[in-house]
Amino acid sequence: MNLMANILINVIIAFLAGSLLLGLHRKVMARVQKRPGPPIVQHLIHSLKFFFKETAIPKTVSRVFYIGIVFILALIWIVGVIVGPVAHDSLLILFGVYAVYKIVEHNSGSSSGSPYGKLSCVRAVLSAATELPLFASIVFVYLITGTMNIGEIIAYQSAHGPLIFSIPLAALMFFMLIITKSPYSPFAITKDKALISGFETEHFGFLRGFMLFSESIAWYVMLWVFLTIFFGPLSAVGYLIGMVAISFITGFINAATPLLSPNHSVMTQITIGAICFFGTVLMIFTGVVA
Amino acid sequence: MVSQKITCIILLVLSTVAILACLIADFEAWIVYAVAIFGIPTWVLSLGLLTMAKPKPEDEEERVKEPFTGY
Repeated sequence: MNLMANILINVIIAFLAGSLLLGLHRKVMARVQKRPGPPIVQHLIHSLKFFFKETAIPKTVSRVFYIGIVFILALIWIVGVIVGPVAHDSLLILFGVYAVYKIVEHNSGSSSGSPYGKLSCVRAVLSAATELPLFASIVFVYLITGTMNIGEIIAYQSAHGPLIFSIPLAALMFFMLIITKSPYSPFAITKDKALISGFETEHFGFLRGFMLFSESIAWYVMLWVFLTIFFGPLSAVGYLIGMVAISFITGFINAATPLLSPNHSVMTQITIGAICFFGTVLMIFTGVVA
Repeated sequence: MVSQKITCIILLVLSTVAILACLIADFEAWIVYAVAIFGIPTWVLSLGLLTMAKPKPEDEEERVKEPFTGY
């Protein structure tokens, strides 16, 4: 297949699947809280609807930055689609994508000129605590498989079995990142409702729609990477089941857990990360992991 | 506002042409990746800035002064 056609198809699948999964996530949360909740397609409709909504650029914003940051958000997650589902390339690039995503959160808030955005921007720095377990998780995958290349990790797992069974605590660290990035997460300190919509507060109308477009792709890419590097070679049905299951689980966790304050959020993430890190090191040195 | 519209039209045309060229011809992988990474967001952004509804001239000042509307 033509490479560009492959990329376009994957971007469209990522957007549609990501939107529906986020819709499912919201539905699960509503049902847990004994509410009917919006239809599953609502997130998708929401994203498309915003493209035609009235948009004005506030006086307080840094104009180029304000629009540019939305562009960068889309750009990095398209890189995520290319490195992941399309090219099966290096995990390190995906780690870089996630690191830039943190910068986007930070700068989106600071470009707005809004006090809510600025506070969210400060919290984005604190929430970088999620990146340490993510990095540790990737390092363990490298130590076991001897490669950072996603294609080779898939090949390793088809010969030796899924990594979830050999380094479950590393998978848990990665899963914590997924919980953190899921909507209404207990660790979502940058989007605390006390900050309205956090760093997105000032991005409304079309620009919000564009952000929702990118975030749907981001959700799909993160789930895809998690399933691929810990559950081995999967068929399309396997990915579908896995993504639905993870959206269901995170929806349940988020519905049942209140948002933590920034200091508690960071401490919890670091504590879980440290336990999983030392647990995995112990498993490697005691020979539990071959 | 007029300059923004012209810029958006130029960017939309350029990104559309670049994406179509990669669909029709077989370029080297790095060229296709570069076009996809920059072209797709540019296409969506420029199209969105052109299609988005704008406030009425009499409401515009109010919109940009009190923007804390969230949704």
